[in-house]
Amino acid sequence: MMTELHQNGQEEVRIGYFVCHCGTNIAAMIDVAAVAEYVSTLPNVVVSKDYRYMCSEAGQDLIVQDIKEHRLNRIVVAACSPLLHERTFRTATQRGGINPFFCHMVNIREHGSWVHEDRAEATEKAKALARGAIGRVKYHKALEKRREPVTPAALVVGGGIAGIQAALTLANTGKKVYLVERDPTIGGHMAKFDKTFPTLDCAACILTPKMSEVYAHPNIVLWTYSEVEGIEGYVGNYQVRVRRKARYIDEELCVGCLDCVDECVFKVGNVDDEFNVGLSKRKPVYMPFPQAVPKLVVIDPVACTHLNGGNCQKSCVDACERAAINFDQTDTIEEIKVGAVIVATGFKTFDPKRKPLYGYGKYPNVYTALEVERLVTSCGPTEGEVVCRDGRTPKKIGIVHCVGSRDHQTNRWCSRVCCMYSMKLAHLLHEHTGAEIYNFYIDIRAPGKGYEEFYERLQEEGNHFIRGRVAEITDIPKVAEEEGMLTIRVEDSLAGFVRRIPVDMVVLSTGLEPHADSQDVRRMFNISCSREGFFLERHPKLAPVSTTTDGVYLAGCCQGPKDIPDTVAQAGAAAAEALTLLDTGYVEMEPSVSVVDPIFCSGCKTCLNLCPYHAITRDDAKGVAVINPVLCKGCGVCVAACPSGAITQNLFEDREIFEEIEEVLAYA
Amino acid sequence: MDPIEREIRYESDRDPTFADEIRAMPGCELMDRCIQCATCSGICPMSDAMELTPRRIIELTRNGFKNDVLRANTIWLCTSCYQCQVECPKKIGITDIMYALKSKAIESGAYGKKFTIPILAREFYAMVKANGRVSESRLVQRLFMKTQPTRFLGMGRLGMKLMKTGRFSNKVERMRNPEGLRRALEALPTDGRKRS
Ligand SMILES: Cc1cc2nc3c(=O)[nH]c(=O)nc-3n(C[C@H](O)[C@H](O)[C@H](O)COP(=O)(O)OP(=O)(O)OC[C@H]3O[C@@H](n4cnc5c(N)ncnc54)[C@H](O)[C@@H]3O)c2cc1C
Ligand code: SF4
Ligand code: SF4
Ligand code: SF4
Ligand code: SF4
Repeated sequence: MMTELHQNGQEEVRIGYFVCHCGTNIAAMIDVAAVAEYVSTLPNVVVSKDYRYMCSEAGQDLIVQDIKEHRLNRIVVAACSPLLHERTFRTATQRGGINPFFCHMVNIREHGSWVHEDRAEATEKAKALARGAIGRVKYHKALEKRREPVTPAALVVGGGIAGIQAALTLANTGKKVYLVERDPTIGGHMAKFDKTFPTLDCAACILTPKMSEVYAHPNIVLWTYSEVEGIEGYVGNYQVRVRRKARYIDEELCVGCLDCVDECVFKVGNVDDEFNVGLSKRKPVYMPFPQAVPKLVVIDPVACTHLNGGNCQKSCVDACERAAINFDQTDTIEEIKVGAVIVATGFKTFDPKRKPLYGYGKYPNVYTALEVERLVTSCGPTEGEVVCRDGRTPKKIGIVHCVGSRDHQTNRWCSRVCCMYSMKLAHLLHEHTGAEIYNFYIDIRAPGKGYEEFYERLQEEGNHFIRGRVAEITDIPKVAEEEGMLTIRVEDSLAGFVRRIPVDMVVLSTGLEPHADSQDVRRMFNISCSREGFFLERHPKLAPVSTTTDGVYLAGCCQGPKDIPDTVAQAGAAAAEALTLLDTGYVEMEPSVSVVDPIFCSGCKTCLNLCPYHAITRDDAKGVAVINPVLCKGCGVCVAACPSGAITQNLFEDREIFEEIEEVLAYA
Repeated sequence: MDPIEREIRYESDRDPTFADEIRAMPGCELMDRCIQCATCSGICPMSDAMELTPRRIIELTRNGFKNDVLRANTIWLCTSCYQCQVECPKKIGITDIMYALKSKAIESGAYGKKFTIPILAREFYAMVKANGRVSESRLVQRLFMKTQPTRFLGMGRLGMKLMKTGRFSNKVERMRNPEGLRRALEALPTDGRKRS
């Protein structure tokens, strides 16, 4: 085979150079014909051509043909960024019959035609770059991609609707899924809602069947009240450590009968109930809500007298006929192997105390939207009866949109769901109380299927929509009608004057923001965050569920605010991406990794801590550094750092780089 | 009085039943669907002379700001060209709402004593009701009498000349059977509401 002959370096180097017009993208600023002509005079160049679209089928065939016809053994393509088409031209090179890594790309578009304004100078630069590439490519070696097997299991982090949907989709294809949820139950925010916009279907009716399905699914291992503590490895082969917090309940024995809750020495709740967002109290032993999955109680070690070191008669233990309560339980650690990870950790809502003018925490009748979700649901703390904290049934309610959102002082982004959920709550509050409802908005953003129609429905139902961001909420009356009320001051910007509107109850539509610990989660999974702190997708349009770490995918609001339909769609997409990886069964590793030459390595360990991917270990027996080619991403840090010059990196060997530089400089 | 204070509107400035009254009039049902896109104001040939543009009329009406709406010259400047109504993306009967507001304004006397347009409307109607036809010269005379009586007297000479040359006649036009019309008008509701 030709390839083998080239490898021993015996055969003459025969280079083919192809320069692309990219329509007018390149040709308008670079005289490509002149470049091709110049390159044809360089040593070892057998073929030098320009072509309109090198990436087209015809352009690729040109490479294939010329390799065969002229016995080429090196290819240089001067075109766009290798990020876009390196794979294309390497594949064409391979189709021509030679090792794909004999192909090298020169970027004369992003680094050339697009950034220059002088055609003559841009053409000169393209020639210099071509000469550098022609110089370096003769040292290229045949390289092979490595294949590593993939563990056919996935980890899903977060059990909101995103995690639930992703886990079910993957599990239904027969893959094993570990679903890790921090709270004692899965369901996330959606479990707290009464109805969902725009169809107003009952949230529980559509969510709880999915929650039960997760629990019963033979391919899903569900760990609630658990957190991922650490992850190591690489795409296809991750080792994950999960901490399962002590529940003080034997999961095998507990049937969720709630006898222990009834018999607990605390006859009424003693701590804020997280599920009801603090609108009610719960006991130290509790189940978050009746349809919780798994259907288990949990004992809160902070609230429980016994676990706090106090003296308790432990009536719960006596009450449990199944002897399921175990105060000696401790946290356990599970070690698992997975091939892919889907991060679906969701969001938290903005803390309205950061906007003091809205009086949250100061005026009892100012509520957050999430609190109102609990107020209007029949299984909530008031069983669906909307009564304010001061006991009154509201006759006038103001709903303030965009709290914390679209604001340079807090969160700059639009939280995307607040307009819609505000209107949903307007409808529900009116339905429950008959109150007159005022929506205060900046813009109504209703960009979804059936959403504009929902807005129109709300208008026709007689809700007031007042365009203006609320400036202040006060209990200080100016006129008689404001006595005993909360007065909202706003400019009605469409009517054209400032208004003061007294209401009984205020609902703050707080925005969505990243979790407080999102930076820790980001670091753990080695992914990035966008400026606002939501996890960053690899490409906003073309890779919306992938991350910059292979094998780690995103679903739901952890990537950015979105509604349930988009969350579910994204979760399906993330599952499909993960499945593609798991089903392929192997991953191909780029060969551009670094290698330590043990003869030169002095074992100084300089490189060990520098490698951002923890790919380097020290072989203590031999006293040298060893690079795990599977973990190495080819960043080159170690190569530059090694004081003995013992590390080389494939495709970036010293002689390749120096030759390229020398030739570029020689052109001038 | 503090000029800024004056701009603030309290809830008591709203008329609690006004919006409902307008909504109940024919063609005005869809007012709440308005998304304040302002197509109406943009297309209206008269909006540059209006104190409140048609869009603001809709906004203020559905919010119950009766006084602002009925006192503005807008409803009287509307020429009933229907362009706004044709173009409104929400198919709101804007011109119909203008009519409804006019009749509200007449009903409540919410316009200047000698404001021409409502007087014209009323005289026009009275004449048609009585005779079945409009006699233009008589209508103009009545209008001038009621709105600008001094100017009217000053125009006596001009009127005589016109009459002599046969360009102006005081003849009262009548339809042959005003009785039929009267019965028809009596069958109509007087408050502008739709009959069930
Ligand atoms: C008041 C309000 C009303 C809304 N109403 C509607 C509506 O009517 N219709 C609609 O379409 N959308 C609505 N939304 C939007 C909806 O809530 C989201 O689209 C949806 O909840 C997103 O699901 P998720 O799974 O991405 O996030 P979440 O629901 O937040 O779930 C994330 C889960 O991950 C868990 N978790 C977080 N961090 C970790 C970690 N480190 N380890 C393990 N687990 C972790 C959390 O405990 C949680 O269970 C509303 C939002 C709000 C705030
Ligand atoms: S711990 Fe025992 S008593 Fe409590 S819910 Fe479980 S089974 Fe019932
Ligand atoms: S090249 Fe980069 S990733 Fe590879 S071993 Fe060196 S430092 Fe680590
Ligand atoms: S055109 Fe119609 S929807 Fe637009 S502002 Fe005028 S009335 Fe409202
Ligand atoms: S009908 Fe009246 S308000 Fe509408 S465009 Fe014509 S003049 Fe303007």
